[in-house]
Amino acid sequence: MHPSRRLVVGTLSVAIFLAVWQFVGQREIIRSDLISYPTEVLATFARLISTGELGSNAAITLQEFVEGFIPSIVFGVAFGVLLALIRPLRELLDPLLTAMYTAPVIAFIPILVVWFGVGTYSKVVIVFISAIFPIMINTRVGVSEIAEPWLRAVRSFGADQLQVVTKAILPGSMPAIMAGIRLGLGRAIVGLIAGEMYVSLGGIGRMIQVYSSAARSAEIIVLVVVIAVFGYVCVALMRSLENRLGTWQSDLE
Amino acid sequence: MTLARPVTALGFPAKARATLLGALGIVLFLGLWELAAQAGWLNPVVVSSPSRIAAAFAGQWQSGQFVADLGVSLAELAIGFGASVVVGVAVGIAMGLNRTTEYALDPFVWFLYSTPLVALYPLIVVWLGFGFATVLAIAFMLTVIPIAVNTFAGVRSVDPSLIRAVRVFGGSRTDVILKAVLPASLPMVLAGFRIGLSRALIGVVLGEMFSSNAGLGFRMTVYAAHLKTADVFVPLAAFVAIGLLTTQLAVALEGRLQSWKTSR
Repeated sequence: MHPSRRLVVGTLSVAIFLAVWQFVGQREIIRSDLISYPTEVLATFARLISTGELGSNAAITLQEFVEGFIPSIVFGVAFGVLLALIRPLRELLDPLLTAMYTAPVIAFIPILVVWFGVGTYSKVVIVFISAIFPIMINTRVGVSEIAEPWLRAVRSFGADQLQVVTKAILPGSMPAIMAGIRLGLGRAIVGLIAGEMYVSLGGIGRMIQVYSSAARSAEIIVLVVVIAVFGYVCVALMRSLENRLGTWQSDLE
Repeated sequence: MTLARPVTALGFPAKARATLLGALGIVLFLGLWELAAQAGWLNPVVVSSPSRIAAAFAGQWQSGQFVADLGVSLAELAIGFGASVVVGVAVGIAMGLNRTTEYALDPFVWFLYSTPLVALYPLIVVWLGFGFATVLAIAFMLTVIPIAVNTFAGVRSVDPSLIRAVRVFGGSRTDVILKAVLPASLPMVLAGFRIGLSRALIGVVLGEMFSSNAGLGFRMTVYAAHLKTADVFVPLAAFVAIGLLTTQLAVALEGRLQSWKTSR
């Protein structure tokens, strides 16, 4: 089998898809206001960029994301470590945390909007609670699976509790923590966009909502691709970070 | 099973202790919430309280509203998930058995897999309008991809000698799929079902919240718009319970299968 067959077939199938889409949309075989077509999508993208509409709304969404996601990592990892180390605490909270972990968190959006208002604050909270439970539970599992002899070794060299956490527990559970952060990232983006679409004053989700009530398919498709690219970039960044941490970890051993 | 259960210092079986503490956690959580609302530390109109939610539940139950909404949501969940299983498994097997199909579908599958598909819902509303069909389409779209990807990975991991063995004994292509590929990839397929089930629930919630006129998600937005916080919590709690139950069910199913596999 030719090594580049994957590339050839893949590119060809995407090209055929785009060509058919262009043809069907531009010739109005299916109404173009329903499905748009690639060149219109590109032109719309250029227009949204040049008017600054996309930039200013993306900035709002990005800010909400960062303000919610960073605290969810900090608190998620911290609570995850505590839950793993303190068994009664874990047993006490286990049913509640499992429920929140498996719950469709977007169902909390209406009540959070009642509590925190229609502005950015409720979106930050949605990002936070979307991401914190997968991070917390993955951290807990990762820490629980660290080999006991390793911890004893660190302790026998005179490490205090803080050093045990920073020198043994955190590095040892890093792969699980990163997996939790990646899972949380996906959920946070979904929660954020859904929250903005539910009710908001600005952001990508708000733009989608506005254009969908005007049935503007081209704008909606542009925004969907923007969100997809954002998600993809975040995951790629995380993977490279993971690889660096991974080599650092194996240096340690 | 003659092994003694692990016993803690207090003489409690470890499992019973965990259950007891877990129940205590729930009681404490609800108790503190009730106390905070009763004592006026938190505004009970805004945060509601367990007793108010119980009263709201009784009201929704008696009017038949809750059962009707639950029925709609569960039907959407079942149909959306069922359709995803049929299509997802078929696509996954096709991709797993045929390289050209894999290469052709790969870019689309991975785009859809990494896209927060929530954002696509307005297009579906434009195409299908408000209501049952749109909710089904959203649930299907969210669910079918992980099931297809997992099935594909499962099929690809099947030992080729297994497939050759079926062929050698004169098995047809159908035999290969039914007797070798599906049984061997079942663990991965079931893991896909577990992921898919939780995504189908997200799809139902989303679809109902944004583009429906019935179901628990729709009812929640109506109550929220009228600031009936206690009433909002009833469908919300139902969603949490459904999420918990479906996940436990899928995990139990996977566990059973695993034990069957090892005992074989």
